[in-house]
Amino acid sequence: MPTPSNDPATSESPLAIETHGLTKRFGERTALDGIDLRVPRASAFGFLGPNGAGKTTIIRTLLGLTSANSGTMEVLGHPMPLEGAQALQRVGAIVEEPRFHMHLTGRENLRLIAAVRGPEVYDRIDPALARVGLSERAGEKVKSYSMGMRQRLGVARCLLADPLLLILDEPTNGLDPGGIQEFREMIRAMVEQEGRTVFISSHLLDEVERTCDAAAIVDRGKIITQGTIAELAGGGVARHELVLGVDDSDRALGTLHSSDLVLEANRFDDGIRVVLADGVGRVESAAAVNALLVHAGVGVARLEPVRHSLEQRFLEITARLDEAPVDSPGSSTREEVRS
Amino acid sequence: MTAIALRMTGADFLKLRRKRWLVLLSLFLTLGILVIVYLVTVIQHASNPGAHGPAGGTKNFSDGMRVLALFFGPLAAILIGVEAGTGDASAGVFRDLVVTGRSRLALFATRVPAALALCWTVILAGFALLLIGSIVFASNLPTPSTSLILNGLGFTLLATGVLCVIAVCFASFTTSRPGAIVTLIAWQVVASPLIASISSLGSARKGILSQAIIHFSPVSVEGRRGAQVAMSQGTALLVLIVWLVVFLALGAWRTRTMDA
Repeated sequence: MPTPSNDPATSESPLAIETHGLTKRFGERTALDGIDLRVPRASAFGFLGPNGAGKTTIIRTLLGLTSANSGTMEVLGHPMPLEGAQALQRVGAIVEEPRFHMHLTGRENLRLIAAVRGPEVYDRIDPALARVGLSERAGEKVKSYSMGMRQRLGVARCLLADPLLLILDEPTNGLDPGGIQEFREMIRAMVEQEGRTVFISSHLLDEVERTCDAAAIVDRGKIITQGTIAELAGGGVARHELVLGVDDSDRALGTLHSSDLVLEANRFDDGIRVVLADGVGRVESAAAVNALLVHAGVGVARLEPVRHSLEQRFLEITARLDEAPVDSPGSSTREEVRS
Repeated sequence: MTAIALRMTGADFLKLRRKRWLVLLSLFLTLGILVIVYLVTVIQHASNPGAHGPAGGTKNFSDGMRVLALFFGPLAAILIGVEAGTGDASAGVFRDLVVTGRSRLALFATRVPAALALCWTVILAGFALLLIGSIVFASNLPTPSTSLILNGLGFTLLATGVLCVIAVCFASFTTSRPGAIVTLIAWQVVASPLIASISSLGSARKGILSQAIIHFSPVSVEGRRGAQVAMSQGTALLVLIVWLVVFLALGAWRTRTMDA
């Protein structure tokens, strides 16, 4: 599969997706409420949220499948829907589950899309099928495919666009663990080796954490927070924390409080929790803390980095949202939970 | 037609011709019915030539052509047109076509020639069988003239083609396959003849599509070409054009504006 090339169809915007105040209503219900989203190019970006949060609606709006009530959006630097034709030339997307003409073969389904996209696309069919591991089954009717195979065929269909931007809605649905691992590797290769942007909507926090560089958390049609995975998991900054098991807690706390390496140190049931100062590498600072304590005569039995998971952070945010009173769109809820 | 439009039409034609049930049912309506009719009439003629005439000849050709052009052919045209109009939406792939960036109007427009291609293929197969049967089984009866054959062919293609285009448009408008099929067949088979028979409606009946189509029939029935409403050739042509324009506009509008 060729690396994405510069194309007159794409602009030089550093952002693959940019929205301002994007709002979509279905009758009285506000599905998207002033979404401001910035997805940098050449990254894997997760769009996280519980079911019904508005993930699919924003994808459908970005792709021109449904219209927005207000706000602006750009895809690959092109205002949508005004320049939709140019923008979508280099966009591949799976919206909700991938759907096909079941009475046609996998290859025939791709030929239908190639016919619509343009003659140069026919040459991409076989490489795309090979890339998703469907070459040998491409001549079979899609109705005989498993869900996982249909997901793969959906990705192959996206690849026909030689996409600068891939938009994937819950892409690991139906994949077995091996398939998920392969999928994850494929996404990382697309981003790191080919410079593509991959926008993944998912409610699977672990999946986003493992696959993506950055993410936005959405709930009830609003972006709650966005940033790198480390920032999100750390509550707005990339925090490095350690848990220490020591033989003399008082002396250890005194030593730690007097060190520039340490931002915070507190006693907990499981030991002493240490928040390391910013700008210091995780490994270097852990080693330095160990040396500091040993030098002060404190015996260190355990030193363990704390891994902040995105799941933990997500649950904190959504729990706080649940506690907040549900009021009209544009309330201060979003600001309250921003760290 | 540009190269891309030809490819898109070819893709739409592929979707239709690979629908086995659609092709088989359409062939049954156009070929199968005629085969049955010929079988019955040939057997009747063979068993009792005095009471039953030969299965071929000009009169049987005319009767068969009307059946093909005005009843079973339109049924096949409706089935094919509706499938062309709703196939992408009902399979859930319309949104995948939209996200290619190709104009929705282009996506709609290529459905029409693809549907006509399949429709006229099965209609031509039926017409060929009808023609062959009317010559082979003519016995001592006169066979259809070249003029009647050509006019009959033109009329059959016109009658089924108009229905097929309207079916594509109506199905694109409703996006419901069963709803479109039931509505169009009910209109064509039940409502149109019923309304045409209500003489108190007067010249308003000129607006009925089937009456306008029948006006172009090359064979006369009861002195009025089988139509129950008298109208000029120009009026009949105008009615056809209005029906086509209105339905094309509806189908295009819906395809352009619907949530995909």
